[in-house]
Amino acid sequence: MDIERLKSEACGQISVAKDLDELNQASVKWLGRKGALSDLMRRIPELEPDLRRDAGQKLNALKKELEALLEEVRTRISGSALALDEGLDISLPGRPVPAGSIHPINQVMEEICDIFVQMGFDVVEGPEVELDWYNFEALNFPPDHPARDMQDTFFVSGDVVLRTHTSSLQIRTMESTPPPVKVIAPGKVYRCDSDVTHTPMFHQVEGLLVGDGISFADLKGALTLFVQKMYGPKTPIRLRPSFFPFTEPSAEVDIGCVICKGSGCRVCSGTGWLEVLGSGMVHPNVFKNVGYDSSLITGFAFGLGVERIAMLKYGVDDLRRFFENDLRFLSQF
Amino acid sequence: MIVSLSWLRQFVDITLSPAELAHRLTMAGLEVEGVWERYAYLDSVKAARVLSVAPHPDAQNLAVCTLDMGSGQPCTVVCGAPNVRLGLLSALALPGTELPGGRTVAQSAIRGVESFGMLCSAAELGTGPDKSGILELEKGAPGEKIASLLNLADTVFEIGVTPNRPDCLSLLGVAREAAAVCGAKLARPQIILPKGEGAIEEITSVTIDAPEHCPRYVARVIRNITVGPSPFWLVDRLLSVGLRPINNIVDVTNFVMMETGQPLHAFDFDLLEEGRIVVRTAQDGEKFITLDGKEKTLSSSNLMICDGKKPVALAGVMGGENSEINPNTKTVLIESAYFSPMSIRKTAKNLGYHTDASHRFERGVDPTGCSAAAARAAQLMLEVAGGVLVEGEIDANPIPWAPKEVRLSASRANAILGTGLSCGQMRALLASVELEAKTPDSDTLAVTPPGFRVDISIPEDLVEEIARLFGYDNIPVTAPMLPMEIPPPRPAMSFRKKLRNIMVNLGFFEAVNYSFVAADTPARLGLSADDPRQATLAVANPLSEDQAVMRTSLLPGLLAATGRNVNLQNRSVRLFELGKVFFARANAPLPEERFMLAAILSGEQKPVSWHEKAAPIDFYDMKGAVQALFESLKIKDVAFARPAPGQADTLLPGHCAAMLCQNKLLGILGQIRPEVCANFDLKQKAFLLEMDVEALRSITPDAVAFAPPPRFPAVLRDITLILNKSVPAEEILEKVRQMKHPWVESVWVFDVYEGKPIEKGKKSLSLRITYRADDRTLTDGEVNALHDNIGKTLLNAFGAKLP
Repeated sequence: MDIERLKSEACGQISVAKDLDELNQASVKWLGRKGALSDLMRRIPELEPDLRRDAGQKLNALKKELEALLEEVRTRISGSALALDEGLDISLPGRPVPAGSIHPINQVMEEICDIFVQMGFDVVEGPEVELDWYNFEALNFPPDHPARDMQDTFFVSGDVVLRTHTSSLQIRTMESTPPPVKVIAPGKVYRCDSDVTHTPMFHQVEGLLVGDGISFADLKGALTLFVQKMYGPKTPIRLRPSFFPFTEPSAEVDIGCVICKGSGCRVCSGTGWLEVLGSGMVHPNVFKNVGYDSSLITGFAFGLGVERIAMLKYGVDDLRRFFENDLRFLSQF
Repeated sequence: MIVSLSWLRQFVDITLSPAELAHRLTMAGLEVEGVWERYAYLDSVKAARVLSVAPHPDAQNLAVCTLDMGSGQPCTVVCGAPNVRLGLLSALALPGTELPGGRTVAQSAIRGVESFGMLCSAAELGTGPDKSGILELEKGAPGEKIASLLNLADTVFEIGVTPNRPDCLSLLGVAREAAAVCGAKLARPQIILPKGEGAIEEITSVTIDAPEHCPRYVARVIRNITVGPSPFWLVDRLLSVGLRPINNIVDVTNFVMMETGQPLHAFDFDLLEEGRIVVRTAQDGEKFITLDGKEKTLSSSNLMICDGKKPVALAGVMGGENSEINPNTKTVLIESAYFSPMSIRKTAKNLGYHTDASHRFERGVDPTGCSAAAARAAQLMLEVAGGVLVEGEIDANPIPWAPKEVRLSASRANAILGTGLSCGQMRALLASVELEAKTPDSDTLAVTPPGFRVDISIPEDLVEEIARLFGYDNIPVTAPMLPMEIPPPRPAMSFRKKLRNIMVNLGFFEAVNYSFVAADTPARLGLSADDPRQATLAVANPLSEDQAVMRTSLLPGLLAATGRNVNLQNRSVRLFELGKVFFARANAPLPEERFMLAAILSGEQKPVSWHEKAAPIDFYDMKGAVQALFESLKIKDVAFARPAPGQADTLLPGHCAAMLCQNKLLGILGQIRPEVCANFDLKQKAFLLEMDVEALRSITPDAVAFAPPPRFPAVLRDITLILNKSVPAEEILEKVRQMKHPWVESVWVFDVYEGKPIEKGKKSLSLRITYRADDRTLTDGEVNALHDNIGKTLLNAFGAKLP
């Protein structure tokens, strides 16, 4: 007599019953008057007398066990039916749990930095109030040079300024580190200009890669990689000559307009291109100023405006919104 | 810099479409920022035939005409031109047309007669010199556009010239680039001067007392000129590049400046005392009135052009009132000089000028171009103002220009660019912009840059020329080859990132405020005079009073943002900011910059909902948030204490706390004083948290040591004490902890109650103590005995009673 097999089959069938009908069928099958258990009970007299007592006890125990299980499953099934009957209005709002968010500028800055970190760049940072030397002079902006007009500078005193770019970190990094150097420098920068397209404070990510045999072609490669990661693998990129005192050759970097895909729209002023980056090969005077030998190494630098990228990414129409901290704005990100 | 296609075509044969030319110039580094049709304003000027002419009922010199303007609907126009007559085909400017003089045509009543538009003369239309009568068209039909009937087409380009390329602040300079990108040749204007009379040395002289400011000064003199309006071609050229015509002499100086890039000045020679020029620096305090009527006080760094007695021009910036060309001028002295860029820049900046001349001089004009520009001006003045040239020029040149050869290794250029150009290819590229290269050996290019290319002095400058002329698009795309390295950890940055995420998880929105605030901010925050946050760093040239100093606290930005939000009906505010504050230092040029974390809560803890009533935010919401922050960072042992004097002046006494860890101040939290809120236009309660990020990081454990969860069950027992209201809960908890009984696992306040039936001045405080042994299950008896014992100790220690 195989009590164990009966037990496992019965338990299995009872516990998977999905509704009361199935449960009743199982009950009849295993515990009914003509059920499997009764059948075994009826066969006890057929056993050797000294085995009968033991078998009887086992079968009784099994019967109790199955009955308990049956009851448990019955409660569960009828409970579910009852629960459905008296169900909640699930359309009512849940108990509020506040959910905050990171500022969109910092989200975008993080995204930019992550791409470069994946490319092996280290992240550095430095003071926002900066010496003229780091912000200008060592970057090959001579005193009283018109190139300084390109950056409307906030002054603290004659030789202390609010940094106008995070390019100052180029100098601070190279002064303290021998080549090769592969860093990005995210942070706040300041320029005294305020209108729809300018705020007196904004954010930049500067990049610098210096080493043996680094070329303009490598600059194109690195920036292409970045742009395609940031804006999608098919985004076209073009470099065109420009001027920054601390790079030579210098290049403005345009990407195919992400709004109109190059056909021309209001955002790209009909050109199909958007200016997103400034870049170039590190100027030999910059190397000289940090004690690098420009006959042995070359490098490239680039800088990008985070607000500009964030505006494009989210379709924000007015730069100033980023600094109003209106919760109706912040909570969208 | 604005250039017109028709003017460029004087120097180079351009067959490209304007759009293609703009593209090529942009890709060569002359960014074309705007392209427009010069005669677009004539779009609303149409041919119209005069159908009838009748005298104006109210004005003798005016006629009332009906016109066929091709629309089938004749219109009426009042016209005062002598040549208006039946059948004449003329030019009708429709309402809205903006004429070159700045006048906008409107539909209006002229002496009581409604006039639709205006019949125009060539001068009024800016298409010719004739202003004697309205335009007479020989061909065409009513309704046709004037511009096409007159074959008027010109494209204007606005070019963003970078500061390193002053040569492109001229038509010739841009034409040179255009020639290079079109593969065409540049043709310069012919300068032919008639033989003059007398000798210039006999009538004037140039003395340069400050050669480092003025290395070269060329002068020419023309007698017997007639000052008057310029001829049409000259006016037209100036208008085409956005300059305003003044008189023929001044117009020539401006024309030559636009053509060559060399700023010129014309003096009324008869107003120069002693008839000579002296170039010297000003005396400190010397006064001078420039052409625009402004009086300036000079200093010894300002270079002046003087006559024998007095200053007559602010060198390279602006002429003086006392020697300007006027209708009676008979003799003119033309100045064509090379001034030191730095000198002009300083003067222009210090005295607040930015002129077309200073813009060019401070970037560097061609030191070899002075003489040619003076001759060109003389040639044109003779043409447009008559007069007699005085033979010769004065060329005072105390510091002659010394050309310097720049040598470039072709292989190095290829290494920098990642290209494989041959020496010959590079040489051809350079030659296209008149940089003639010799090749002393197979890898060397030796270039002596001409005077107009002040930007070329080192080999890399030539690399840039090669790159841009070859085309950045043609340079390959490669990946940098550098050793593989993993950047070092940046724990401070990672920590700030983590803090931001924790704050967001606690339901705060991140704010970013400007780093500058109004100078009176510390006072508005209620800080005492000796508070360290009074040490603000002032910005010397702020954009507004509200941005005058660098912030020493994140609070003002958050308070202002909260006030703004409440005014915008966002009444429940949960904001945080993580950013730098700045403290001026007496003994260092740079301020101390410190990262702070601040948060503000205001309004309702939970919005009113169907679950429960709205609850206003209070102190414990902020304390709960900061405790959750500590818990996330695994920081234990932070004490909340009453702030010491001066630590929390901004906060309401009795409703604030200082956070201390190992006696180090981490920050403060609590309710902001209502008067401080009011100072920031916030009319509801607000709660602040402000912490020093680095202090917080210094107590944050790097690693977590695992402790296995307890194996035996805990037993919970509660006790309620009635005790003096003033006893802080923390003291009671601390007393329990101090007993250091190994079975006491934790103690927790679960209820506080004041009011009936509790006696006044007392409160009821209910504690829950968790008992657990780590080696067995405690029995009820054991726990009860210990719990009674603890209860007795507390009753004794605090004079408390049981309820």
